[in-house]
Amino acid sequence: MQQILTAQAAEGMVLAKDVLTPEGRVLCGKGTELTQALIERLLKMEMVNITVEGHPVVVAGEKSLKEELQDIDLRFSRVEKITPLMYLKKIIKEKLVASRG
Amino acid sequence: MRMDDQKREEFRKALREVKNLPTLPGIVIKLTQMAEDPDTSTEQMGRMISKDHILAVKLLKLVNSAFYGFPQRISSLNSAIILLGINVIKSLIISASIFEVMEDQDIELWEHSLGCAVVSSVLAKRLGMSEPEEVSTAGLIHDIGKVAIKMELPREYELITRLVHDKQISRIEAEREVLGLDHAEVGGWLAKSWNLPGKLIEPIACHHDPRLAKDEQLASAIVHFSNIIIRGMGYGHAGDIWVPALSSRAWRMLELTPTDLELVLAEVEEKLWEVKGFSLDIKANNEEAVPL
Repeated sequence: MQQILTAQAAEGMVLAKDVLTPEGRVLCGKGTELTQALIERLLKMEMVNITVEGHPVVVAGEKSLKEELQDIDLRFSRVEKITPLMYLKKIIKEKLVASRG
Repeated sequence: MRMDDQKREEFRKALREVKNLPTLPGIVIKLTQMAEDPDTSTEQMGRMISKDHILAVKLLKLVNSAFYGFPQRISSLNSAIILLGINVIKSLIISASIFEVMEDQDIELWEHSLGCAVVSSVLAKRLGMSEPEEVSTAGLIHDIGKVAIKMELPREYELITRLVHDKQISRIEAEREVLGLDHAEVGGWLAKSWNLPGKLIEPIACHHDPRLAKDEQLASAIVHFSNIIIRGMGYGHAGDIWVPALSSRAWRMLELTPTDLELVLAEVEEKLWEVKGFSLDIKANNEEAVPL
């Protein structure tokens, strides 16, 4: 999932989190597919950010998936003999891949 | 006395005096006295805190942030004191004043600390600890010694940072090389000098070597492993990106199965999402709410 500016939202994106009013009321539920009308309504209600499935918006300067996976390997490169930490690394990698998927 | 010892003594003294850190708010000292007096009610303590309006707002913000994860919004200081206990409130007041400095100066350390608090909270709850809020608070302030080093010994701090880059070593190794002591030890002294309870002191002082913990072994193991997880997830600090070694004793104590670990990470990820962009700065937050 990715947090984006509502201004970056496009038709067809799917909400990965409920959109809440400042008072905590659910405006729009997780799983909802965005339509142009809905996006305009969210903008009108001054909802600045929304969280959507996948990773639809390319952020300038953001690392590619491959680079991020390499970074994880580097971070864990000094603890390769510690089994639980290798398992931790595996889960972190899987989660990253899934979130970009 | 050898030259080295003499120098180390100087560093020790500077760090113990902490002249440049924000002074501990008088309110913490008052609260300590009030907490010791059996005749003081939580209402009285709440009233005392609420005299400082900005502090009160910050406290409620911290209390309602994702790393404590209370299902309902806590809107009064009284309920915050009852739910979290006076020890947590005291350390939150300290964090609020320390992190004010850190937040503008070192956003990376702030995010690392918030992240560590989130992981500590998730682990403490999963392990059924009776006061998970104290453990996550320890996670929040575990690197407070780094802030003290930065404020009191800025020249040495720069030297440490350079050493980390040049030699590609961890920060704690570089600190020991330059100062003959490290941020965990310094954090422990600070927490002690502020009269924080042992439950918070030990996890801070032992987060790199939980074997040193005596009374708070589990809490220390949790903060130790939380620091590892959050670094693994990419929240390192100042050139020191490495995941540190895991204490095998701490690992045994946590008794986490591979499945547990997976669930913990899923929960952490979810909560980190909520904490992202969490700031104590009240003004900045108001500005954020301005529509595009």
